[in-house]
Amino acid sequence: MKSRRLLPLPLVCLLASMLTPADAAETPKDIKIGTLYASSGPFAAISMPVYYGLKLWVEQKNEAGGVLVRPFNKKIPIKLIAYDDQSSTATATTLYNQLITQDKVDILVADSGSVLTSVGVPIARDHKMLLIDQTGTGATFFTKDNPYIVLISDPISSVWPKYVGDFLNTEGYQLGIRRVAILYATNDYTSTQANAVRKFLKDAGKLEIVYDNGVATNTSNYVVLLQNIRASNPDAVVHLGYPGNDIAFFRNVQESGIKFKWLFGIYPGLETELVERGVGPKALQYVYTYVTSSAISYKPNFGMTLAEFKAAWDKKYQGGHVEFGFNAVAGYTTGLVLDRALATTDNLDQLALRRAIFAQSGKLKTLDGDFELDETGAQTGEIQPLGQLVPDSKGGLRLNIVYPHDLADAKPAYPAP
Amino acid sequence: MLEYALIAGLLFGLYFSLIGLGLNLVFGVMRVVNLAHGDFLMLGGFAAYWLFTLRGVNPIFSIPIVFVAFALIGWPLYYLLVPRLQASKDPEMLSLILFFGLSQVIEACATIGFGTSEYSIPGDVLGSEPWHILNQTFPASWMVSGIASAVCIALVYLYLYRTRIGYVTRAVMSQRDEALSTGINVHAVSALAFGISLALAAVAGVLAPFMFGSIVPAMGVAVTITSFAVIVMGSLGQPLGTVLGGMVYGVALMFMQTYASSWANLLPYLVLILILLVRPTGLLGKRVRHA
Amino acid sequence: MGSGCGMRNGLRHLIFVLVPVVAAFAVLPWVYSNHLLLFNFVVFLVLAQGINVIYGFTGYLPFGYVGFFGAGAYGFSLLVLHMHAPPLLALVAGALAALILGIILTPLLRLEGAYFAIATLAASEVVAQIISNPNLTNVTQGPYGIRLSGVYAPRFAYSVAVVILALTLLMVVYLRNSRFGLALQAIRENPVSASMAGVDVVRGRTIAWLLSALIAGLIGAVYAWYISVFYPETVFDLGMSIFAIVFALFGGTATIVGPISGVAILYGIYNGIGIATPQYFQLIYGTLIMALVSFLPNGLLPLLKRWGINVP
Repeated sequence: MKSRRLLPLPLVCLLASMLTPADAAETPKDIKIGTLYASSGPFAAISMPVYYGLKLWVEQKNEAGGVLVRPFNKKIPIKLIAYDDQSSTATATTLYNQLITQDKVDILVADSGSVLTSVGVPIARDHKMLLIDQTGTGATFFTKDNPYIVLISDPISSVWPKYVGDFLNTEGYQLGIRRVAILYATNDYTSTQANAVRKFLKDAGKLEIVYDNGVATNTSNYVVLLQNIRASNPDAVVHLGYPGNDIAFFRNVQESGIKFKWLFGIYPGLETELVERGVGPKALQYVYTYVTSSAISYKPNFGMTLAEFKAAWDKKYQGGHVEFGFNAVAGYTTGLVLDRALATTDNLDQLALRRAIFAQSGKLKTLDGDFELDETGAQTGEIQPLGQLVPDSKGGLRLNIVYPHDLADAKPAYPAP
Repeated sequence: MLEYALIAGLLFGLYFSLIGLGLNLVFGVMRVVNLAHGDFLMLGGFAAYWLFTLRGVNPIFSIPIVFVAFALIGWPLYYLLVPRLQASKDPEMLSLILFFGLSQVIEACATIGFGTSEYSIPGDVLGSEPWHILNQTFPASWMVSGIASAVCIALVYLYLYRTRIGYVTRAVMSQRDEALSTGINVHAVSALAFGISLALAAVAGVLAPFMFGSIVPAMGVAVTITSFAVIVMGSLGQPLGTVLGGMVYGVALMFMQTYASSWANLLPYLVLILILLVRPTGLLGKRVRHA
Repeated sequence: MGSGCGMRNGLRHLIFVLVPVVAAFAVLPWVYSNHLLLFNFVVFLVLAQGINVIYGFTGYLPFGYVGFFGAGAYGFSLLVLHMHAPPLLALVAGALAALILGIILTPLLRLEGAYFAIATLAASEVVAQIISNPNLTNVTQGPYGIRLSGVYAPRFAYSVAVVILALTLLMVVYLRNSRFGLALQAIRENPVSASMAGVDVVRGRTIAWLLSALIAGLIGAVYAWYISVFYPETVFDLGMSIFAIVFALFGGTATIVGPISGVAILYGIYNGIGIATPQYFQLIYGTLIMALVSFLPNGLLPLLKRWGINVP
């Protein structure tokens, strides 16, 4: 699906261009940003919100006349070229090629999630284009010999579950947790998080991992697995899967009548609306999850705050089928980083853009948190605190932040009643 | 854990038997492989979902509604698709492709209409308390599915073995050409069987959100393959065989999920090939090999 | 059946079909810059011809044809990953992997029609599931997919693919014009009379089966080489089998240009629609397939024959 943004005030721009000196005629008439999204398939739930978040930034910029591009010292409108890969890696591969070779985009932005980003990595590298990786956190993308990738909105998977591991090792241990069960879906994203959790626990050596199993990402029936987990008698259960896995998992927990003392899932936090709709608030009571930037109001030094962004989102996409959650924020954050990069870059060369983005590391703070890159382009900031969903007075859920202490606003309820 | 796997296996087995039954009927009667079988199941599931969400109809009551609706759809669909097929050079092969096309069309329409996220129906509409059997707890929805499947299987059995139409259907299943020559309206019988087959798939679809966890438009193909494994195991043209096949399959699946969960996905395909190579007639059946 | 045997026809087919097609694909990259698309065309041309060999000439329809493609891709990748083999050697490994799989699955040829089709589908899935099992991650990278580094050479890989296309077409030309090819078609029409006429049915079928496996394995290996990042689902995708089958059927099997025209027309439409309006392409495609089977069950061939055109 092509998305075009026409110049809002063509006459003014025409006059403006006539008044500027001759060599400004080299100014491109628009900045082409190419991206992919998945409108269907297993990754649609995490892809569409990202795309919409990015689109919101593009449309906001274009309404103000474009984005400031330093080498030309003027605002240039953005043309967003986006194709639908339908969650298929083969299609995505063809479409990344299309964006680079046929549409000749100035900036290449990956689709959401490690799987759909992964196929773009060698293509971008081969064509020497910087791949703006929005939420693909697979650790293998980031190697010292490939400068053509940078991760914007998610911490790299090996760092992401830091607060989960820390909590279990410290406060969890004090509360009496000794035995941990880990269940994860076998794909780059969740298995890397599982590896990280495992490592955090093993390194501290205080807790015993009594169950550790990977299941296919398309698993939708956990009843038998839950029996197996229960048989291992854990104090804490960590479930790492995509939204489909989480929804099925929590439903099955409720239906089987099993009660775990401490239960963690990724998407009750990352896509709360979606998961709550799928399993009902009762199934999520006392569940621990990530507190994402869509639930904490960080104080940004650039771009809209969470409240402003949500208001803009609701205004633009009200009644749409795309959930507002962490991924929406991620898409918008991509826009913000590109905004700063274009405003500070020396020229539109891919490596110059990379330098401009790296220059933001440690300085930029958005509604998504602190922007920090390591030398390979992986994001090491934006780490998410641990929270717990508790019932509120209206029959819904409230997300309490329980760890780390400098951000916490409540104590964890353990064991779950 | 063993007892759990066994009982769960039997429950799932009944459910898989239901899924396979429709496919068996179609293949037995018209030698046509309905590769869209799983997609009709998916449609049944969505019908139940929408009936529940928009009208508050409990899935149990959706079952007869869906059954009648899909049987009515199946009848004209048969006449539209199958007779032309049987006039061509290679009807079996072409039926594979034709119904694959149908499967894609159904999936595409469902995706356009419903989007791609998983849909599920809260399990407690079929009972909020888990059932206890032999000290094991099972979700109520599983028990209800098992019972519903058993009832449907019994009804099909009655249809095939106790009604005149069923008798005629079995005649067509065993010897199509002879049935034609004895004046049986093969097309009418086939159309009815086709309608019933779709109806059975749809009923299984109503129960799918509970047995599979959720429904998505893209679930059709995997379900079709699984049902094929079940019927091949049980042998064609033998509804009882499908029940046996389903039970064996269900128990095997539960055992694999319990003891070797990462290999559980392999099961339907492995079973299918092994049966076809070792005993292609299935656990109780007629010859299908030729040199 | 064949419109005549012999060297003269063979030569004509070579000049008027093989050479132009191969030359076209050799030259197109200089003119059209989405090379991946061209590469995909070559892949499907080869796969459609592979289906042609097994279905057009023997009447067996392997729904799981993509299993050989995936076997080739993984054969190539494993040799590169674990032994750091040079790509051309790894290509041979890929082809061998597919061939071995074909040999293992030969007993399936005893099954008839739909059973054979579905059994091959199951076989392909078995291989895919085994490869993507997380317990085998150390060997096959399991479900996490293959990332090949150090052999990325898309332009060279493309040329190799065109060479494979040429070889495949050569093979089909041979089959079309040889006694062996005629024998195969006899087997397809009626195995019993064919064997009574002295044709070794089992041997003929097995050779055709292994040849088609080899073709798919070779192009699968090149595919892995070309894209260097893929998941098990990508190379064991049922859709690829279906596409190859539909392309072959559309143009007409047991001919040379049949599959070629099928790929050119249908895959061309697919890409056109697929990029512009992807949410509808599945719908359009499914309808197209259904219409094709309902109205043109024997492909374009009978239509053309009726108009007096003899198809090579």
